[in-house]
Amino acid sequence: MADHGTAAATHGGGGGHATVRTYIQVAIALAIITGVEVATLYVPGIPNPVLVISLLVMSAVKFYLVVGFFMHLKYDHGIMRALFVGPLIIAVAIILAVMALFSAFLLLPRPH
Amino acid sequence: MADHAATHDVHDPNIGNTGLDHRKMGMWAFLGSDCMFFGSLIGTYLAYKGKSISGPTPHDVFDIPLTSYSAALLLASSLTMVLALAALQDNRVKVAAGWLLATAAMGLHFVLNQVYEFWTFVHHHDLMLSTSLFGSTFFVLTGFHGAHVTGGVIWLLLLVSLAWRGKLDRRDYTKVEIAGLYWHFVDIVWIAIFTIIYLIP
Repeated sequence: MADHGTAAATHGGGGGHATVRTYIQVAIALAIITGVEVATLYVPGIPNPVLVISLLVMSAVKFYLVVGFFMHLKYDHGIMRALFVGPLIIAVAIILAVMALFSAFLLLPRPH
Repeated sequence: MADHAATHDVHDPNIGNTGLDHRKMGMWAFLGSDCMFFGSLIGTYLAYKGKSISGPTPHDVFDIPLTSYSAALLLASSLTMVLALAALQDNRVKVAAGWLLATAAMGLHFVLNQVYEFWTFVHHHDLMLSTSLFGSTFFVLTGFHGAHVTGGVIWLLLLVSLAWRGKLDRRDYTKVEIAGLYWHFVDIVWIAIFTIIYLIP
Protein backbone atom coordinates (compact mmCIF):
# COMPACT_ATOMS: atom_id res chain seq x y z
CA MET A 1 0.00 0.00 0.00
CA ALA A 2 2.87 2.31 0.77
CA ASP A 3 4.23 1.67 -2.69
CA HIS A 4 0.81 2.25 -4.14
CA GLY A 5 0.71 5.73 -2.58
CA THR A 6 4.11 6.63 -3.94
CA ALA A 7 3.05 5.34 -7.30
CA ALA A 8 -0.08 7.46 -7.09
CA ALA A 9 2.09 10.53 -6.84
CA THR A 10 4.20 9.32 -9.73
CA HIS A 11 1.12 8.71 -11.84
CA GLY A 12 0.32 12.38 -11.57
CA GLY A 13 3.33 13.00 -13.71
CA GLY A 14 5.37 14.79 -11.08
CA GLY A 15 9.04 14.04 -10.78
CA GLY A 16 8.96 15.23 -7.17
CA HIS A 17 7.33 17.93 -5.15
CA ALA A 18 7.83 20.50 -2.48
CA THR A 19 8.20 19.67 1.19
CA VAL A 20 6.02 20.98 4.03
CA ARG A 21 8.82 23.39 4.88
CA THR A 22 8.68 24.79 1.33
CA TYR A 23 4.89 25.13 1.57
CA ILE A 24 5.20 27.18 4.76
CA GLN A 25 7.94 29.37 3.25
CA VAL A 26 5.75 30.01 0.20
CA ALA A 27 2.77 30.86 2.44
CA ILE A 28 4.88 33.36 4.39
CA ALA A 29 6.06 34.94 1.13
CA LEU A 30 2.45 35.18 -0.08
CA ALA A 31 1.36 36.85 3.18
CA ILE A 32 4.21 39.38 2.99
CA ILE A 33 3.52 40.25 -0.65
CA THR A 34 -0.20 40.67 0.05
CA GLY A 35 0.62 42.97 2.96
CA VAL A 36 2.92 45.06 0.75
CA GLU A 37 0.26 45.21 -1.98
CA VAL A 38 -2.37 46.61 0.37
CA ALA A 39 0.11 48.95 2.08
CA THR A 40 1.13 50.37 -1.31
CA LEU A 41 -2.39 51.74 -1.72
CA TYR A 42 -2.00 53.91 1.37
CA VAL A 43 1.39 55.40 0.40
CA PRO A 44 0.72 58.91 -0.91
CA GLY A 45 2.37 60.35 -3.98
CA ILE A 46 3.10 57.18 -5.96
CA PRO A 47 2.60 57.92 -9.69
CA ASN A 48 -0.26 55.89 -11.14
CA PRO A 49 1.82 53.98 -13.73
CA VAL A 50 4.34 52.97 -11.05
CA LEU A 51 1.53 51.87 -8.73
CA VAL A 52 -0.21 49.83 -11.43
CA ILE A 53 2.98 48.13 -12.62
CA SER A 54 4.16 47.31 -9.11
CA LEU A 55 0.74 45.85 -8.18
CA LEU A 56 0.66 43.74 -11.36
CA VAL A 57 4.20 42.45 -10.75
CA MET A 58 3.41 41.50 -7.14
CA SER A 59 0.23 39.78 -8.29
CA ALA A 60 2.16 37.84 -10.95
CA VAL A 61 4.70 36.69 -8.37
CA LYS A 62 1.90 35.44 -6.08
CA PHE A 63 0.27 33.71 -9.03
CA TYR A 64 3.54 31.95 -9.89
CA LEU A 65 4.17 30.87 -6.29
CA VAL A 66 0.73 29.25 -5.95
CA VAL A 67 0.79 27.58 -9.37
CA GLY A 68 4.42 26.51 -9.18
CA PHE A 69 4.60 25.21 -5.61
CA PHE A 70 1.09 24.62 -4.25
CA MET A 71 -0.21 23.22 -7.56
CA HIS A 72 3.15 21.48 -8.14
CA LEU A 73 3.28 22.68 -11.75
CA LYS A 74 6.97 23.51 -11.32
CA TYR A 75 7.60 19.81 -10.69
CA ASP A 76 4.94 18.42 -13.02
CA HIS A 77 5.12 16.92 -16.49
CA GLY A 78 5.51 19.28 -19.48
CA ILE A 79 2.12 18.20 -20.85
CA MET A 80 0.41 19.45 -17.68
CA ARG A 81 2.28 22.75 -17.96
CA ALA A 82 1.25 23.11 -21.61
CA LEU A 83 -2.39 22.34 -20.79
CA PHE A 84 -2.48 25.24 -18.33
CA VAL A 85 0.03 27.81 -19.60
CA GLY A 86 -1.28 27.74 -23.19
CA PRO A 87 -4.85 28.75 -22.27
CA LEU A 88 -3.47 31.17 -19.67
CA ILE A 89 -1.62 33.02 -22.44
CA ILE A 90 -4.83 33.09 -24.48
CA ALA A 91 -6.72 34.43 -21.43
CA VAL A 92 -4.23 37.30 -21.07
CA ALA A 93 -4.55 37.95 -24.80
CA ILE A 94 -8.36 38.06 -24.44
CA ILE A 95 -8.07 40.65 -21.65
CA LEU A 96 -5.69 42.81 -23.71
CA ALA A 97 -7.78 42.44 -26.87
CA VAL A 98 -11.05 43.41 -25.17
CA MET A 99 -9.35 46.37 -23.50
CA ALA A 100 -7.92 47.46 -26.83
CA LEU A 101 -11.35 47.16 -28.46
CA PHE A 102 -12.76 49.61 -25.94
CA SER A 103 -9.61 51.75 -25.67
CA ALA A 104 -9.51 50.92 -21.99
CA PHE A 105 -5.82 51.01 -21.17
CA LEU A 106 -4.58 50.59 -17.64
CA LEU A 107 -1.61 52.90 -17.96
CA LEU A 108 -2.53 55.39 -20.68
CA PRO A 109 -4.99 58.28 -20.31
CA ARG A 110 -8.57 57.17 -21.05
CA PRO A 111 -10.53 58.94 -23.78
CA HIS A 112 -13.73 60.72 -22.67
CA MET B 1 10.98 2.40 -8.10
CA ALA B 2 10.77 3.46 -11.73
CA ASP B 3 10.31 -0.17 -12.75
CA HIS B 4 7.66 -0.61 -10.10
CA ALA B 5 5.78 2.47 -11.31
CA ALA B 6 6.02 1.31 -14.90
CA THR B 7 4.70 -2.12 -13.97
CA HIS B 8 1.93 -0.55 -11.93
CA ASP B 9 0.95 1.76 -14.76
CA VAL B 10 0.05 -1.21 -16.97
CA HIS B 11 -2.70 -2.23 -14.55
CA ASP B 12 -4.09 1.18 -13.70
CA PRO B 13 -6.96 2.20 -16.03
CA ASN B 14 -6.40 5.86 -15.13
CA ILE B 15 -2.94 5.92 -16.67
CA GLY B 16 -2.74 6.47 -20.41
CA ASN B 17 -0.03 6.03 -23.04
CA THR B 18 1.69 9.18 -21.84
CA GLY B 19 2.14 7.65 -18.39
CA LEU B 20 0.02 10.43 -16.95
CA ASP B 21 -3.21 10.23 -15.01
CA HIS B 22 -6.24 11.01 -17.21
CA ARG B 23 -8.13 12.60 -14.33
CA LYS B 24 -5.32 15.00 -13.55
CA MET B 25 -4.82 15.92 -17.20
CA GLY B 26 -8.56 16.51 -17.49
CA MET B 27 -8.49 18.83 -14.50
CA TRP B 28 -5.56 20.83 -15.93
CA ALA B 29 -7.43 21.12 -19.25
CA PHE B 30 -10.55 22.31 -17.41
CA LEU B 31 -8.55 24.85 -15.43
CA GLY B 32 -6.99 26.12 -18.66
CA SER B 33 -10.45 26.64 -20.17
CA ASP B 34 -11.63 28.31 -16.95
CA CYS B 35 -8.70 30.73 -17.28
CA MET B 36 -10.18 31.88 -20.58
CA PHE B 37 -13.65 32.16 -19.00
CA PHE B 38 -12.36 34.44 -16.24
CA GLY B 39 -10.11 36.24 -18.71
CA SER B 40 -13.16 37.29 -20.72
CA LEU B 41 -14.99 38.47 -17.59
CA ILE B 42 -11.97 40.44 -16.33
CA GLY B 43 -11.45 41.94 -19.79
CA THR B 44 -15.09 43.03 -19.92
CA TYR B 45 -14.86 44.58 -16.45
CA LEU B 46 -11.77 46.55 -17.46
CA ALA B 47 -13.30 47.57 -20.79
CA TYR B 48 -16.29 49.13 -19.03
CA LYS B 49 -14.35 50.49 -16.07
CA GLY B 50 -15.14 54.17 -15.51
CA LYS B 51 -17.81 54.21 -18.21
CA SER B 52 -20.90 53.95 -16.01
CA ILE B 53 -23.19 56.95 -16.48
CA SER B 54 -24.76 56.64 -13.05
CA GLY B 55 -24.53 54.89 -9.73
CA PRO B 56 -21.73 54.52 -7.21
CA THR B 57 -18.14 54.08 -8.36
CA PRO B 58 -15.77 51.34 -7.16
CA HIS B 59 -14.05 53.92 -4.95
CA ASP B 60 -17.38 54.61 -3.20
CA VAL B 61 -18.22 51.03 -2.36
CA PHE B 62 -15.08 48.90 -2.01
CA ASP B 63 -14.09 47.88 1.51
CA ILE B 64 -10.39 47.14 1.03
CA PRO B 65 -9.71 45.90 4.60
CA LEU B 66 -12.56 43.34 4.33
CA THR B 67 -11.46 42.23 0.87
CA SER B 68 -7.83 41.97 2.02
CA TYR B 69 -8.99 39.76 4.86
CA SER B 70 -10.87 37.57 2.37
CA ALA B 71 -7.75 37.38 0.18
CA ALA B 72 -5.70 36.31 3.21
CA LEU B 73 -8.30 33.63 3.99
CA LEU B 74 -8.03 32.10 0.52
CA LEU B 75 -4.22 32.19 0.59
CA ALA B 76 -4.21 30.51 4.01
CA SER B 77 -6.66 27.90 2.74
CA SER B 78 -4.24 27.05 -0.06
CA LEU B 79 -1.62 26.27 2.59
CA THR B 80 -3.99 24.01 4.54
CA MET B 81 -4.91 22.26 1.29
CA VAL B 82 -1.30 21.29 0.54
CA LEU B 83 -0.81 20.27 4.17
CA ALA B 84 -3.82 17.96 3.79
CA LEU B 85 -2.24 16.43 0.71
CA ALA B 86 1.10 15.98 2.47
CA ALA B 87 -0.63 14.31 5.44
CA LEU B 88 -2.56 11.97 3.12
CA GLN B 89 0.66 10.99 1.38
CA ASP B 90 1.99 9.91 4.79
CA ASN B 91 -1.31 8.02 5.30
CA ARG B 92 -2.26 10.24 8.26
CA VAL B 93 -5.89 10.26 7.14
CA LYS B 94 -7.39 11.95 10.21
CA VAL B 95 -4.84 14.76 10.04
CA ALA B 96 -5.56 15.15 6.34
CA ALA B 97 -9.30 15.29 7.08
CA GLY B 98 -8.63 18.01 9.66
CA TRP B 99 -6.69 20.12 7.16
CA LEU B 100 -9.39 19.56 4.52
CA LEU B 101 -12.03 20.69 7.01
CA ALA B 102 -9.96 23.79 7.85
CA THR B 103 -9.68 24.53 4.12
CA ALA B 104 -13.44 24.20 3.66
CA ALA B 105 -14.09 26.39 6.72
CA MET B 106 -11.90 29.19 5.35
CA GLY B 107 -13.58 28.86 1.96
CA LEU B 108 -16.99 29.12 3.60
CA HIS B 109 -15.82 32.17 5.53
CA PHE B 110 -14.71 33.74 2.25
CA VAL B 111 -18.14 33.09 0.71
CA LEU B 112 -19.92 34.59 3.72
CA ASN B 113 -17.70 37.68 3.49
CA GLN B 114 -18.70 37.98 -0.16
CA VAL B 115 -22.39 37.62 0.69
CA TYR B 116 -21.96 40.38 3.28
CA GLU B 117 -20.14 42.56 0.72
CA PHE B 118 -22.90 42.07 -1.87
CA TRP B 119 -25.58 42.76 0.78
CA THR B 120 -23.82 46.00 1.72
CA PHE B 121 -23.57 47.08 -1.91
CA VAL B 122 -27.26 46.45 -2.50
CA HIS B 123 -28.67 47.88 0.73
CA HIS B 124 -26.23 50.67 1.55
CA HIS B 125 -25.12 51.83 -1.90
CA ASP B 126 -28.10 50.88 -4.11
CA LEU B 127 -25.73 49.01 -6.40
CA MET B 128 -27.33 46.06 -8.14
CA LEU B 129 -26.72 43.96 -11.24
CA SER B 130 -28.80 46.30 -13.39
CA THR B 131 -27.75 49.62 -11.81
CA SER B 132 -24.79 50.37 -14.07
CA LEU B 133 -22.02 48.89 -16.17
CA PHE B 134 -19.92 48.72 -13.02
CA GLY B 135 -22.68 46.83 -11.17
CA SER B 136 -23.25 44.26 -13.89
CA THR B 137 -19.58 43.56 -14.66
CA PHE B 138 -18.57 43.50 -10.98
CA PHE B 139 -21.36 41.22 -9.77
CA VAL B 140 -21.02 38.79 -12.69
CA LEU B 141 -17.24 38.47 -12.30
CA THR B 142 -17.06 38.18 -8.52
CA GLY B 143 -20.32 36.20 -8.38
CA PHE B 144 -18.96 33.54 -10.71
CA HIS B 145 -15.80 33.37 -8.64
CA GLY B 146 -17.91 32.99 -5.48
CA ALA B 147 -19.84 30.17 -7.18
CA HIS B 148 -16.53 28.44 -7.92
CA VAL B 149 -15.50 28.77 -4.26
CA THR B 150 -18.87 27.40 -3.14
CA GLY B 151 -18.43 24.39 -5.43
CA GLY B 152 -14.96 23.86 -4.00
CA VAL B 153 -16.25 23.97 -0.43
CA ILE B 154 -18.86 21.31 -1.24
CA TRP B 155 -16.18 19.15 -2.90
CA LEU B 156 -13.88 19.46 0.12
CA LEU B 157 -16.69 18.59 2.53
CA LEU B 158 -17.45 15.47 0.49
CA LEU B 159 -13.79 14.43 0.84
CA VAL B 160 -13.94 15.07 4.61
CA SER B 161 -17.07 12.95 4.77
CA LEU B 162 -15.32 10.12 2.92
CA ALA B 163 -12.34 10.35 5.29
CA TRP B 164 -14.57 10.21 8.37
CA ARG B 165 -16.30 7.12 7.02
CA GLY B 166 -12.96 5.40 6.42
CA LYS B 167 -13.32 5.55 2.64
CA LEU B 168 -10.27 7.72 1.98
CA ASP B 169 -6.62 6.74 2.27
CA ARG B 170 -3.33 7.35 0.51
CA ARG B 171 -4.49 5.32 -2.48
CA ASP B 172 -6.87 8.22 -3.11
CA TYR B 173 -3.99 10.71 -3.30
CA THR B 174 -4.76 11.69 -6.88
CA LYS B 175 -8.45 12.30 -6.09
CA VAL B 176 -7.50 14.72 -3.33
CA GLU B 177 -4.74 16.26 -5.45
CA ILE B 178 -7.28 17.03 -8.19
CA ALA B 179 -9.60 18.68 -5.66
CA GLY B 180 -6.55 20.63 -4.50
CA LEU B 181 -5.78 21.80 -8.03
CA TYR B 182 -9.32 23.16 -8.31
CA TRP B 183 -9.05 24.84 -4.92
CA HIS B 184 -5.71 26.51 -5.71
CA PHE B 185 -7.20 27.67 -9.00
CA VAL B 186 -9.95 29.64 -7.24
CA ASP B 187 -7.17 31.13 -5.14
CA ILE B 188 -5.14 32.30 -8.15
CA VAL B 189 -8.25 33.73 -9.79
CA TRP B 190 -8.83 35.74 -6.63
CA ILE B 191 -5.19 36.89 -6.68
CA ALA B 192 -5.91 38.38 -10.12
CA ILE B 193 -9.34 39.79 -9.19
CA PHE B 194 -8.05 41.29 -5.94
CA THR B 195 -5.31 43.20 -7.71
CA ILE B 196 -7.06 44.14 -10.95
CA ILE B 197 -10.53 44.92 -9.59
CA TYR B 198 -9.95 46.07 -6.03
CA LEU B 199 -6.43 47.46 -5.77
CA ILE B 200 -5.65 49.13 -9.10
CA PRO B 201 -7.17 52.61 -8.92
